[in-house]
Amino acid sequence: MNQLGDSHRPSWLDRPYNFIQLEWDSTLSLLRMKTQVRPIQCYSLGLMAEMHQVFTDISTSSGYVKHLVMTSDIQGVFNFGGDLSLFVLLIRARDLESLQMYGHRCIELIWWMETASQRGIHTVVLVQGDALGGGLESVLPYHKVIFERSAQGGYPEVLFNLFPGMGAWNFTIRKAGFAVANEMILSGHIYTADELHYRKLVDMVVDDGKGEAAVQQAVRFVHPRLRGTLAALESRRAAACITYESLKEIVNQWAATAMTLTDRDLRFMERLARAQIRKIGSFGEGAVEEIKKLELSIAWERRHIAPWTIS
Amino acid sequence: MNTSSEGAQDEVIQIVHPQLVTLPHPVRFNEGTPNPTNHFGILMQPFFLDLVTDTDEERRRFETNPIVLDAVARGMPVERYRKLLHELYHIVWHFNPVCAAGASRMPDEYRQIRYFLYEHMHEESGHEGWVINDLEAVGIPKERVRVHLPSVFTLALTGYNYWAADRRHPCSVLGMIYALEVIASVYGGPFSLAIKEALHLQGEAGTTFISSHATMDAAHMAELRVVLNTLHDADSRSAITESAIINFHHFTKIFEAV
Repeated sequence: MNQLGDSHRPSWLDRPYNFIQLEWDSTLSLLRMKTQVRPIQCYSLGLMAEMHQVFTDISTSSGYVKHLVMTSDIQGVFNFGGDLSLFVLLIRARDLESLQMYGHRCIELIWWMETASQRGIHTVVLVQGDALGGGLESVLPYHKVIFERSAQGGYPEVLFNLFPGMGAWNFTIRKAGFAVANEMILSGHIYTADELHYRKLVDMVVDDGKGEAAVQQAVRFVHPRLRGTLAALESRRAAACITYESLKEIVNQWAATAMTLTDRDLRFMERLARAQIRKIGSFGEGAVEEIKKLELSIAWERRHIAPWTIS
Repeated sequence: MNTSSEGAQDEVIQIVHPQLVTLPHPVRFNEGTPNPTNHFGILMQPFFLDLVTDTDEERRRFETNPIVLDAVARGMPVERYRKLLHELYHIVWHFNPVCAAGASRMPDEYRQIRYFLYEHMHEESGHEGWVINDLEAVGIPKERVRVHLPSVFTLALTGYNYWAADRRHPCSVLGMIYALEVIASVYGGPFSLAIKEALHLQGEAGTTFISSHATMDAAHMAELRVVLNTLHDADSRSAITESAIINFHHFTKIFEAV
């Protein structure tokens, strides 16, 4: 039972949201945040504003939330990452400032999650579907990353001449090392949950449908030893330090690179956005399949293979 | 102090069309014009950034509307595409007159907007003819296009735009331009691709208007951003934001109705 008791239940827990659903478990002081950006689950400006509000509210009620669990409420998709249509809009408008603003908002959320242990909060994320680009990098600062077996993740940005700029390098290097970060970010390849677990980017893989039980197990394991665990996690941060300044520097590089994308790159981005729509509408192959096709076509172009001729 | 991160404070940008440089007062303005401070002395951010943020939900409501999603992913049957082009014909026909209505009511404090509109009207001139050609390519003769009556949603869109230019604020036409150019430059490309696939259209036949605007409006977006960032007063800013939201809303309804 929460030491403060339900009489101290803060009013912000009942704040209405469009893209987030909050569930409170007073027994474990556990706040569950389910994201629901329908129909295309991505980090839209609206979702990020609501997440920022939730994080601000948690910070103002210091000590009330002890565990924060994030999941997606959209079947088959954890998060597609950045709002690709917004990127296309801003790049075509040559609007560096707005792209930087978008990136800075992302890393503010990432940074809050990175410093959650300082605030006395243990964080867990459950991924039950596709986590692409920003969708994957957004889960890496969580203390415990749990994937269901059918979930997939990767950084496809390089396929349209961009790179994941909101913490992917920092957090992938910290969790999995330089070699894995290089391989993942520079290939654009999409990995299965087991492949991500093998690379130490994911802490636990469970069979489909067992994710909720795994979250409960993770929280209940930490709960009786929360202070010690958080202190250890805080010292882990000191041992493998990631700074806000480095995140900001990379996000500015990301925005500057985005401004150099050509029409061809933007068309790839649009293809991916169109594939996201197909997945949502169950019209056919989704974003992951499209990325695999893009990988193939790019590899084909790079090899400069001569066309078949009959001699 | 220049707030532009592009460091363009000394870069003077001429927005008048090259063919119109003989105008008596060619407008030149500095993109790096400092943004003024608000009542609390806090530096205001560029208006384009505000406009993108404040209209983002309406843009996404258009993008994620089930009918729009379906059209962008799978195209649409020829009958519905014909209906859409018919509605587009009216929107395009009224585009320049709406811009002219705004320009004619614009005082000199918005002179740069007025000259931007002159240039823009010049570029958009005659584009309703492209829609007619596309309709011909999908089996609708010219004579039938000219007698087509717009849907109530198209009337609501054009009616609002005239009213806003006349009664709300002359700068509100920039909200219309913003919404229509976002739709064209961000969604026009994938949509025309989906239409070509669905209707087995060859080359640009039948999709000239949408395909060309997808590319052309990309350049227009950059010009629009520059001119929007010259606006610092709350009245024009709120009128433009309102107009963009309403144009996204009505355009979604038009799409739904076909």
